[in-house]
Amino acid sequence: MARPAPRESHLAGTLPASVGGFGRRSLLRGALGVGALGAAGMLTACGDDGGSGSGASAKAGNVKFGINEAKGSGPANERLQAMADAYAKKAGVTVSVNAVDHNTFQESITTYLQGSPDDVFTWFAGYRMAQFAEGGQIADVSDVWPLDGIGDAFKKASTAADGKQYFVPVSYYPWAVFHRKSVFEKNGWTQPTTMDELTELMKEMQGKKMTPFAFAAKDAWAPMGTFDILNMRLNGFDFHMALTKGEKTWDSPEVRNVFSTWKTLLPYHQENSLGRTWQEAATSMAKGECGMYLLGTFVVDGVPTEAQEDLDFFTFPALDQTIGADALDAPIDGFCVASGAQDEEAGKAFITWLASAEAADAANNSASAPFIAANSAASTAKYGELQKKSVEVVQNAKSIAQFLDRDTNADLANTVITASLQEFIKKPDSIDSITTSIQQQAKSILG
Amino acid sequence: MTTATAPTAVPTTTKNPLSATGGGVINRRRGRIATVIMAVLAVVWLFPLLWALYNSFREYSYTQTNGYLSFGGWTLDNYKDAWDRGNFGLHLKNSLLITIPAVVLTLFLSSLVAFVLARFSYRFNLTLLGVFLAANLLPPQALLIPVFKMFREIPLPTFMSESGTMLNSFWALILVNTAFQLGFCTFVLSNYMKTLPHEIYESAELDGASVWRQYWQLTMPLVRPALAALATLQVTWIYNEFFWATVLISRGDKYPVTSALNNLRGQFFSDTNLVAAGSIIVALPVLVVFFALQKQFVSGLTLGSTKG
Repeated sequence: MARPAPRESHLAGTLPASVGGFGRRSLLRGALGVGALGAAGMLTACGDDGGSGSGASAKAGNVKFGINEAKGSGPANERLQAMADAYAKKAGVTVSVNAVDHNTFQESITTYLQGSPDDVFTWFAGYRMAQFAEGGQIADVSDVWPLDGIGDAFKKASTAADGKQYFVPVSYYPWAVFHRKSVFEKNGWTQPTTMDELTELMKEMQGKKMTPFAFAAKDAWAPMGTFDILNMRLNGFDFHMALTKGEKTWDSPEVRNVFSTWKTLLPYHQENSLGRTWQEAATSMAKGECGMYLLGTFVVDGVPTEAQEDLDFFTFPALDQTIGADALDAPIDGFCVASGAQDEEAGKAFITWLASAEAADAANNSASAPFIAANSAASTAKYGELQKKSVEVVQNAKSIAQFLDRDTNADLANTVITASLQEFIKKPDSIDSITTSIQQQAKSILG
Repeated sequence: MTTATAPTAVPTTTKNPLSATGGGVINRRRGRIATVIMAVLAVVWLFPLLWALYNSFREYSYTQTNGYLSFGGWTLDNYKDAWDRGNFGLHLKNSLLITIPAVVLTLFLSSLVAFVLARFSYRFNLTLLGVFLAANLLPPQALLIPVFKMFREIPLPTFMSESGTMLNSFWALILVNTAFQLGFCTFVLSNYMKTLPHEIYESAELDGASVWRQYWQLTMPLVRPALAALATLQVTWIYNEFFWATVLISRGDKYPVTSALNNLRGQFFSDTNLVAAGSIIVALPVLVVFFALQKQFVSGLTLGSTKG
């Protein structure tokens, strides 16, 4: 496969501008960028006028669209399919959808991208996107940016190490502490806003023979949510990013502090979590055996229908007043253009539209459950209570992390950190040896 | 593999040769102990299967609230949903299109090699058989990257593969399965062919039968039991094959049924009862093949073990 161009542009990106110079290539890209800006503006501006939004660079054309939700698998597939259909109708092109189930798609992404990838495919923001950008498997789409209605936090998450964008966001879901409204009402509890209130609440719950936090670690990624939030509350968002990039070490006093804080909280969590899936943990919260559960908004899928309406959430309170509580995990889903794409321009035209409010509305209007659109101009008419609140919470957050396994190297996250967190849950006293071991392995993986 | 192994344990318990001899007290006691041990093993093997079968008929919401040790919440919807959501009609067809050509091709090619290895003595016979067997010892995972890169470079006309390469085509899966099964089949068939009396070939030679005729009209009918046994084994193995399909295929509508089982899992949420129902549907063809050809299967396990 011929991939010299992206590699070269990546190298150029790491060089200072004075060294890299103003080559023909970058000049050309600048020109393209201007063209795309016009195109994007036109696309969003000219509503129903089918297909006329084709500018000089991003010319609409037939696209192959790889999606990570199997056909008939539920609302997520319906939304993506609806977007594909709406675009095909609007631009007068053919969108051939290749639907693969979520886990298979993710696990075979490397062979997918090296084999015969579709022009545009669903992917995740953050490091997971950045590492493909660096490897040259996905195309630079900085010329479609800025996108109307897509804020700065999203732009940051779509930017790779070379400062260019390789991704457009479409939706996100925040992680927070969920609980049943009725349980809180019955006991006269209110959502805690400080750590003292939370501690008091947890003690009161224990007094009522209720486990304060539902907890599951059988799905090895689940405890990362707890680690992330404690890390961001104790050390801040910037530390989280530096740590996941390998700029800070895992055996640093900061990380050890996270683990020792977690250790003091473990007695308030459900026991034997290593044998429990998140669905079982969610069920025990729904049943009232546990008071709260720190998880993503997908928790609603794990509770019976009657409990879904009864759910509410709050963000984890501040642990350190100087750092506050304005960071949270809210993984962003979106789209990339494969560099092996047959028609890169058509792909860019398509993702420009996919990031629009119109696309989000098309998705939400024809699916049985909506997503939370990344585009701020998207209609919120279909949103449920939880989603409306999610929008508010995420808008109030100053920094958005992508979740530990999306923010760092996949090998490190999925083989080292998962096992280490499980080890910690098993033996909370061996923090020193666990953090040292993570650091050694992180060093060999991140280099 | 569990589906294939579990039922074999059952006939062994009933047809225990030790208890059938009716010998002395010690023999009878030993027979009883053996029966008990094998019954326990059979239960251990069968338990997960039966548990999946049991829960595939129950609603997720019921087991969620009452736990899996409860009794009730009966429904047939899981099967209907699994069939629709998994799109099993399409994927079973894909599996069929991969399995049948692969099995036919494997048996044909390996019988050709086996015939030559068994009937003619060249200096490299043993080496050749050794090479075929050695390939069997290589784990397919070790060959993942070379095979993937090789297939990516092999062009195919678009009427054979939409992607223009071997990737994302059934040809790739048929070829790769054939290649991996060839060694085992050659080994078994050549051992079986060696047991055929040499005199038949001498008289065939005298009657003027060509080598092709000796192979096609003389050897093939005689090795039919071996072919039947191998066909049964190969159908189950290739049908159950999962690894290559996920590596070489990246189009959702091209997956064989084993890989399509993943369609029933969501990004976060998975309805285990639905997955159980789907697994039963996927296992059914193998069970049918197995029960229909049970005799060949059992004889296949000991095939070639007497001479080699």
